[in-house]
Amino acid sequence: MRFLLKLAWQDLRGSGQSLWVLCACLVLGVTLVAATAGLYQQILEGLQADSRKLSGGDLQVNARARLPAEAISWMEARGQVSLLIELDTMLGTAAGNFQLVEVQSVDQHYPLYGELTLDPPLTLAEATAEVNGRFGMAVDPVLADRLDIGTGDLVSIGDLELEVRAIITAQPDRSLSANWRGSPVMISEEALGATGLVLPGSRVDYEYRVKTDQDPDAWQSALFARFPETTWEVSTFLDRSDQVGERLAQAGSALLIVAFSTLFVGGLGVYNSVQAYLHGKLGTIATLRSIGLRDRSLSIVYLLQILIMSGLSCLAGAVLGFLLSFAGAGFAATQIQVDTVHGSALLPSVLAAVFGLLCAMTFAAPAIGRALSVDPAVLFRSLDGVETGTPRVWWLATLCAAVLVVLLVLLVLPDPIFALSFVGTLFALLLLLEGIVRLIRGMALRMDGGAPTRRYFALHLALANLHRHGSALRMSLLTLGSALTLLVACTVLISTLLETIAETIPEESPDLVLYDIAPYQQQEITRILETQGAGQVDMAPLVQGRLAAINGVSPDADSSLDAQREARDEHKLTYRAGNIDGVTMVRGSWWPADTSDERAWVVMEDREADQIGLEVGDVLTFDIQGRPLEAELTGIFKQQGLQTRFWFEAIFSDGVLDPFISRYVAAGYMPAENTVAAQNEIAALAYNVVSVRTATIVATAKDLLDKAVAGLAVVSSVAFAVSLLVLTGVMASHRSRQVYYSTILHTIGARLSVIRRSLSMEYVLLALVTSVFALVLGILVALPILHFQLRLPLSFPVWPAVAAAFGVSTVCLYAGASYLMRRLHLQPASLLRGQ
Amino acid sequence: MIRLNGIEMSYPLEQSRITVLKGVDLHIAEGESVAVIGPSGSGKTTLLLLLAGLDHPDAGSIEIQGTRLDELSADELADLRRDRMGIVFQSFHLIPSLTALGNVTLPLEIAGEPEADVKAREILHRVGLGHRETHYPMQLSGGEQQRVAIARALVHSPPLILADEPTGNLDKDTGIAISNLLFELHDNLGSTLVVVTHDESLAARCDRQLRLDSASLVEGQIRAVSA
Repeated sequence: MRFLLKLAWQDLRGSGQSLWVLCACLVLGVTLVAATAGLYQQILEGLQADSRKLSGGDLQVNARARLPAEAISWMEARGQVSLLIELDTMLGTAAGNFQLVEVQSVDQHYPLYGELTLDPPLTLAEATAEVNGRFGMAVDPVLADRLDIGTGDLVSIGDLELEVRAIITAQPDRSLSANWRGSPVMISEEALGATGLVLPGSRVDYEYRVKTDQDPDAWQSALFARFPETTWEVSTFLDRSDQVGERLAQAGSALLIVAFSTLFVGGLGVYNSVQAYLHGKLGTIATLRSIGLRDRSLSIVYLLQILIMSGLSCLAGAVLGFLLSFAGAGFAATQIQVDTVHGSALLPSVLAAVFGLLCAMTFAAPAIGRALSVDPAVLFRSLDGVETGTPRVWWLATLCAAVLVVLLVLLVLPDPIFALSFVGTLFALLLLLEGIVRLIRGMALRMDGGAPTRRYFALHLALANLHRHGSALRMSLLTLGSALTLLVACTVLISTLLETIAETIPEESPDLVLYDIAPYQQQEITRILETQGAGQVDMAPLVQGRLAAINGVSPDADSSLDAQREARDEHKLTYRAGNIDGVTMVRGSWWPADTSDERAWVVMEDREADQIGLEVGDVLTFDIQGRPLEAELTGIFKQQGLQTRFWFEAIFSDGVLDPFISRYVAAGYMPAENTVAAQNEIAALAYNVVSVRTATIVATAKDLLDKAVAGLAVVSSVAFAVSLLVLTGVMASHRSRQVYYSTILHTIGARLSVIRRSLSMEYVLLALVTSVFALVLGILVALPILHFQLRLPLSFPVWPAVAAAFGVSTVCLYAGASYLMRRLHLQPASLLRGQ
Repeated sequence: MIRLNGIEMSYPLEQSRITVLKGVDLHIAEGESVAVIGPSGSGKTTLLLLLAGLDHPDAGSIEIQGTRLDELSADELADLRRDRMGIVFQSFHLIPSLTALGNVTLPLEIAGEPEADVKAREILHRVGLGHRETHYPMQLSGGEQQRVAIARALVHSPPLILADEPTGNLDKDTGIAISNLLFELHDNLGSTLVVVTHDESLAARCDRQLRLDSASLVEGQIRAVSA
């Protein structure tokens, strides 16, 4: 074995640099996998480790009013309890600007986990105390920056003017979406009362956070058993962790899929590189066999060489990826308040290296087997044109390695649906590719046989180079085609999202949405909006209620915990009048418009209905403010994707909700430039009304999308670099053969200009075929994501995808053709001398 | 040493077959030197391939030192070449990434010989390239490369030497020098030598000349031509 290792190393030292494409592909691919997997793991573990802190406690009991003393005593006997009162409202600055904020008022036990720190370093009590008749407040730094306010500035909330006394530098339970949904401000409970915003019907949340040693599920069950008739919602830190984890898993899976695809394309580079390397070693292999080295020993020598190069490359990639994941985690920590767990990036890096090595051996095995099957007899004849085939045992080894790779992918990808879709798509791609290659070859052969092509020798040559055995067509489609497919899919998704955000949302969405409009404020609000140019003002009630029973069956203490929790979940209810959310029916239908039937009808949102398991025809009993309301489910609707509206979960027939209405929501369609004035005028008149401009949401969404695009661009550019590397290797290995054939043609009388023209045509045909392939496949990949995941219509701007596919493939293949033309030094004399 | 009985060999060609050897019987004694000559395509290389165990005849049997080649597995054939044969190629076929010394030690290292380096140095000196042992094939002339190849073929003192046009790629003077070296070592080792060649002066130095013609092997006589 020592001899074999020594032989492998000596032989590799002399010629290993020709495996640079293998090394580069593996380094890039493994780096990408390690970086994305490491980043995902750090954030996930950080969120999980911090979930108690982020949730504010082990459990949270939510209510619309203060809990009775009996309940509080019960909870305090089973853990430490802290109350946080929360209310969304508008904050006004001295400059007359208004901003949606989340007003929070906490007790002396806050926070149960972690620490709240302020700048200057005051206690919260000091910052929010009443001093000289004025209450103080602590504000979120993002809000302070956005409104350009600092300590000492005066702001207004409702009826109350407050002084900014501190900026919150660290808040353990700061919402992950606070940057774009409503930044927190903290005031005292006395101040909250003085704002005049806490009125019957106000959307005030009373959150009782609990810190306990007991099992959260057991604690919940005991609460439900003790207080069975209550409507309090209970959630645990695990629920929050699961929800965030699910979203993170989807994002992580998407990035990892790009990374794995890169490694897959890199694997093609490995195959090509190993094949080219070993082709140059055929003489050596045959010689070693002829002097008595056994087949098994020979296999070991070349396996060792590939293992050494692959192993070193994967190690380099893993280390690089590990380091890059820190940079990514550092950036992520600035966007979402989470302490990333750096050590957790180690295992993903190790797995990435293992994956890279497995991938490399999967792709290298057939090339090694093919080279090792060379007959020593060729030494007595000639090495030129030696044909080798891959023995069956090597195909079996390749299959085993491929199965391991697939299993590893399924194990590593966080979202199982993504994982299965990716593996399925990969197989489909390979099958499709084979079919397309055969189709194109057949078409090229048919065209080549026709009279017109025979007349034009350059075209005949170009077509022949497409359909002949060993042409660059398959590898070009597989390498550049795969990368372009990814590019086209991303382009379709991003351009559709951008168009939706930039045009569709502003076109179809209201310019201003308003919440918490008291019934007596309706006319005045409508007047203000119309004065500011609103052509349409839609108003609808917002009532909150629970789904207490389905077909007369209510969950009880013997029902599952999930059923009990679902029964306490509050839904947003409204009536049809004008269909303020613009929903569309997917099952069943609206009730008859002109019915004189006094029964109550209801339609529900599809996601809620599917989660609960509702069917059209079910009789639903809602509990609204302690009173039952029964209605028949006539239909199930879906919301429009990516819109700025209200997301009602149930819509009732008109009049049914009248006894319960205490507030309204409104949507104003008006010139965008007037929305700020409208917002300010409404806030000045009715400080309880919360207003949100579509423009603000669009800007925030666009900002988020820009960041996502930037991240995707970085990942995709690495994927693209790998594809170009592989393509370079493919073209380089074909170059020598093309130069040889061209030399022969030139020797027997073909003009150099004709030869160059034929090569140019060949590359143009390759670019065309690759672009069409990538365009069609990329769109097919993007459509399900657009329709099922993002819920967007299937129409999308095609031209960016067309430009991407054709533009990039043309540039890449033009570069390859130019390189070939420069290297096309034809020396017929070399042929005659047999060199 | 070598016994061929009723050897027949043909190659497929589209819808027919080309017969290159038919009813070939041959006996070569130990220590003999035999030249195989004939026109291009007559089957000379095929005969050498069969003797090296690198191809299998359609009919007949081949015995090397009493061992029938058709009874050996692929590994046993490799062992046979490792232990009992030395092959010299027309195009040298040295391993480009190994030095001259590295190339020569190869057969001994494959066999697990502990003093491979010592023996390799010795034979490199004998072929006049002791001072070039650290040089790579690309740094050696054609004649020097062929010397190294001969050294590699003979370092393990094989009882059978097979040479395929050993002077085919060399100029006349170098060819003569290589021929002299080959026969000197053959004489010293007492090996059996089978050489395929177009070089009549090389053929004339052998104990016997065999001519391949129309798929048959016949004894011939070539007289050495004085310079």
